[in-house]
Amino acid sequence: MEKRFAFFQIKPWVVLMLLVMVFWPPVASWAFMDEDIEKPKPEFTRQGDIVTAKLIPRAKSTSVTIAFQIKGGGRLVDVKGVEIAKNMSSEINKKDFRSELFSVDVAGVTPGGEAILIVASPFFTKSTSYWIYNKNSPTQWMDASAENTRPQEGTQQFIIRIKDGGPFDSDGAVDGHITLIGGPRDSFWGYVMGTLFIRFFGVFIVLGVLMIGMLISGLIFQKIGKKRRSDDAPPIIPPAGQRLTDAMPSVKDPPEMVSQPEPDKITPELAAAIGTALAMHGAFQQKASMKDLNNTAHACAPEPNFWAMDGRRQIMSDRSMVFDRIKK
Amino acid sequence: MSFESILELIKSILITQTGIPNLTGGQGFMLCVGLLFLYLAIAKEYEPLLLLPIGFGIFIVNFPLAPLMGYTEQGNPELLRAFFKYGVEWEIIPCVIFLGLGAMTDFGPLIANPKTLLVGAGAQLGVFITYMGTLFFGFTLKEAASVGIIGGADGPTTIYLTAKLAPHLLGANALAAYSYMAMVPLIQPPIMRWMTTKKQRRIRMRQLREVSAREKLLFPLIATVFIVLLIPAVAPLMGMFMLGNLMRESLVVKRLTDTAQNSLMNIVTIFLGVSVGATMQADKFLQWKPLLIFGFGLLDFIICTFGGILTVHIMNLFLKEKMNPLIGSAGVSAVPMSARVSHVEGLKYDPDNWLLMHAMGPNLAGVIGSAAAAGMFIAMFQ
Repeated sequence: MEKRFAFFQIKPWVVLMLLVMVFWPPVASWAFMDEDIEKPKPEFTRQGDIVTAKLIPRAKSTSVTIAFQIKGGGRLVDVKGVEIAKNMSSEINKKDFRSELFSVDVAGVTPGGEAILIVASPFFTKSTSYWIYNKNSPTQWMDASAENTRPQEGTQQFIIRIKDGGPFDSDGAVDGHITLIGGPRDSFWGYVMGTLFIRFFGVFIVLGVLMIGMLISGLIFQKIGKKRRSDDAPPIIPPAGQRLTDAMPSVKDPPEMVSQPEPDKITPELAAAIGTALAMHGAFQQKASMKDLNNTAHACAPEPNFWAMDGRRQIMSDRSMVFDRIKK
Repeated sequence: MSFESILELIKSILITQTGIPNLTGGQGFMLCVGLLFLYLAIAKEYEPLLLLPIGFGIFIVNFPLAPLMGYTEQGNPELLRAFFKYGVEWEIIPCVIFLGLGAMTDFGPLIANPKTLLVGAGAQLGVFITYMGTLFFGFTLKEAASVGIIGGADGPTTIYLTAKLAPHLLGANALAAYSYMAMVPLIQPPIMRWMTTKKQRRIRMRQLREVSAREKLLFPLIATVFIVLLIPAVAPLMGMFMLGNLMRESLVVKRLTDTAQNSLMNIVTIFLGVSVGATMQADKFLQWKPLLIFGFGLLDFIICTFGGILTVHIMNLFLKEKMNPLIGSAGVSAVPMSARVSHVEGLKYDPDNWLLMHAMGPNLAGVIGSAAAAGMFIAMFQ
């Protein structure tokens, strides 16, 4: 009976080692490897009342820009980058924040009043949300419930309403000054899974398109080849006393059928060819081994004698369709 | 000069100018690793063309105080650092190797049976599964992608992608890729047997049609159009690959083809091997991530082989003329080793079943598939 699980014939110590690697110590303790080597380091520039951060987010090789602007009262004083410290990240997955956090300082707001923060970037998508961190709030991490709109093609923007002394204001005081700490959040695992499917099927699509292209070009080339062969074929001369139509194979007959002899018409030459092929096959079976695979055909071929030469000639002639037609 | 000052001078020379007192345990270990790879390359002939220079690179770079992988005071790179910087960091060597590979490759079996392209795509399953698996172990997305591509079993693609996304893992990734490629005849057969029945292993495939010289000549151009239009990020690799193949099939630049196949390929192989080996300095290599990569690499190869065979099984559900599922394992690239493994496995169950040319189709598709997967990853991080 065939062993269905022969796969497990791998040495037990290899399997054991792999299991140990996967299950012990538990995944959580691999955190020591979770060194943040992709720390985004934003650089800020100011143009009028717009502050723009330029940074290379996690899992990106090229830089992106994020623009901050205040509307509806108050003025944007400053924007700074804030690293997510360990004590801040207990409630969230740090990897969800690919661009880290930003601290936005707004002044000149009517005490207790509201300002509108606009954060725009081509880096954001429709599924991006803006999250706020406030260490003084009972729930330190909050979804800003920002309006996610697309003001122009290729740019997504958040419109966040912030209230002086409100839950998003880190200083917590009603003093006309708002400090907002937060950043854009995308689900890390959602992104990973999405990527996994899109990219894997993307490879299928690319190779599938190439396959279709090759199938079509293959058909074209085969047709051209067929046409060329028929154009190049010498005129068929019927044997004496026979009409031209009798000499030609039927159009409906596929070429393979034309070249195959009927059982009762086996000529001595064909018998010789079959005999030679069998001899070669037998010789090969004796000599073939793993080591000989690279040079089997030459190593196993017997010395050419009359029979072999005749057989080879027969095989070669049978390959030529034109020859076949003339023969018929 | 007093005797004591002479002793002091000797001591100072010993400490600052010789390697012996500066040799660390880690370096000693890496010297042994280098020797091990030299042994595998020379005595066992496992991918000797690459493992020999890689092994020597590991060996030489782990001697303390050796001015090989650093920078001089003037800021110029030292010898091996220069090879690495201009060859690998600038992404020149992997692309030149692809030029040589293109010049060596006969796409006939793939052109004759384009359906096998799908097998090459299916065999990339491990690349993406490993990509996700490594993330559980704290790898970053870029690192995970560079580790995942090991399963594509394509050395230059692995090096190209890793140099782009996670250069600090280059040594481990390249070494894992080449080591497992050398071990394809050990890794794949158990999976092939596990996933197929005896009857399936005996399936005979129809002889491939003849491919005209004109078809072969146009293939690199057609393939470039489709691949580069769909994944522009892979243009450097695919462009050079197809250029090499075009030179070969055009038959008008035999000198160039010969150079690309032989001299150029040999030269860049030396520089590539030594540079990759040189990245494996003890302080950088003896960490958890590089060591884990070897475990993931093996898993990756296993899943890729599984994916290739599974794809053939799925295709067989729809095909009138069934394909022998053993050729699915050749979809992992590793040209031509994995095709040969398919062939040898097939012969074990039917000595008249010659699968080699049929397996070359998915094998070549695997090269294109792994480059496409690499292009997908590059595009993802742009």
